[in-house]
Amino acid sequence: MIAEADKSYVLFPLGEKRFALRAETVTELARPDSVQTFPHRTPLLTGVLVRRGRIVPVCDVAQVLVGPAAPPRKFYLIANCKIGARQELTAVPVTGECELASAASVPLTGNEPPYVSGMLAIGHETVTVVALEKLICAEATS
Amino acid sequence: MKPLKQLRPEVKTAREDVIVFAVGGYKLAIAAGAVKEIRGMDDLHPFKLGGISAQIAKLKYTLERNGTTYFVIDAAQHFRLPVSNASRVMVLRNTPTGVLVDSTDRIMEISALHALPPAFTHEERGWYRGLAVVNGLVVPVVNHTAFLNRPELEIVRAGLERVRGVVSV
Repeated sequence: MIAEADKSYVLFPLGEKRFALRAETVTELARPDSVQTFPHRTPLLTGVLVRRGRIVPVCDVAQVLVGPAAPPRKFYLIANCKIGARQELTAVPVTGECELASAASVPLTGNEPPYVSGMLAIGHETVTVVALEKLICAEATS
Repeated sequence: MKPLKQLRPEVKTAREDVIVFAVGGYKLAIAAGAVKEIRGMDDLHPFKLGGISAQIAKLKYTLERNGTTYFVIDAAQHFRLPVSNASRVMVLRNTPTGVLVDSTDRIMEISALHALPPAFTHEERGWYRGLAVVNGLVVPVVNHTAFLNRPELEIVRAGLERVRGVVSV
């Protein structure tokens, strides 16, 4: 696989690890509002937020990316996510402040989970780029 | 490549009266026009009919009203919630269905119904007509026909007819 040219990413922490979303998909980093819950059966979704009159589902990706031991989430990263034929806002709880970074992706080995769309080498750290829609769809159909 | 649909959320802006009720600690709403009567737990008869009870475990009671048999559904079980403290029955209109709920709260008017976000992909897509936002609080508006849907009603009716047939023999 050929390394892509530098692109912008939003790096977000989940416990001690950091992950990335493509910057153009991220619309805001929100302070914690109260997540509102109601009965449902979709895995990973913990409820919804109301942001500027819109209802935004909250998808707790930490359960997949770092497991149940992730520390409490402090902020919500709100990103555009293609679900079916529509683009929808989705809130991802993160455990600390986020960072905007430019980096080139390094080649994938082919053994990564389907929701990994790239890997970034940032200093000594390797950061996984998450394809949010693939992660949500994979969990929804699992 | 087909362009993606715009980021406009689906919102229907018709005004509607809804009854707010509680199940398992959650507040939900149902169209006021879908409810014929709200009553206590009196006169409920436990429903136990081997095959049907196994297939439709949420069907707990029957209620006889004006010559009609209503099949009473435990809303907590319908929404896959832990056992709750049911105290009221909402008797629905145009369907022989009653719904056991913990409490009924008030009638209020909603001005818009937001589509359930597509990220919700499981049973809840059938449970709700949409989400209302009332003073910043999100209240799901239930699809009242889902409490006992047509195939389930057919199972119940067929089972009862079978039993009546056996009895008459």
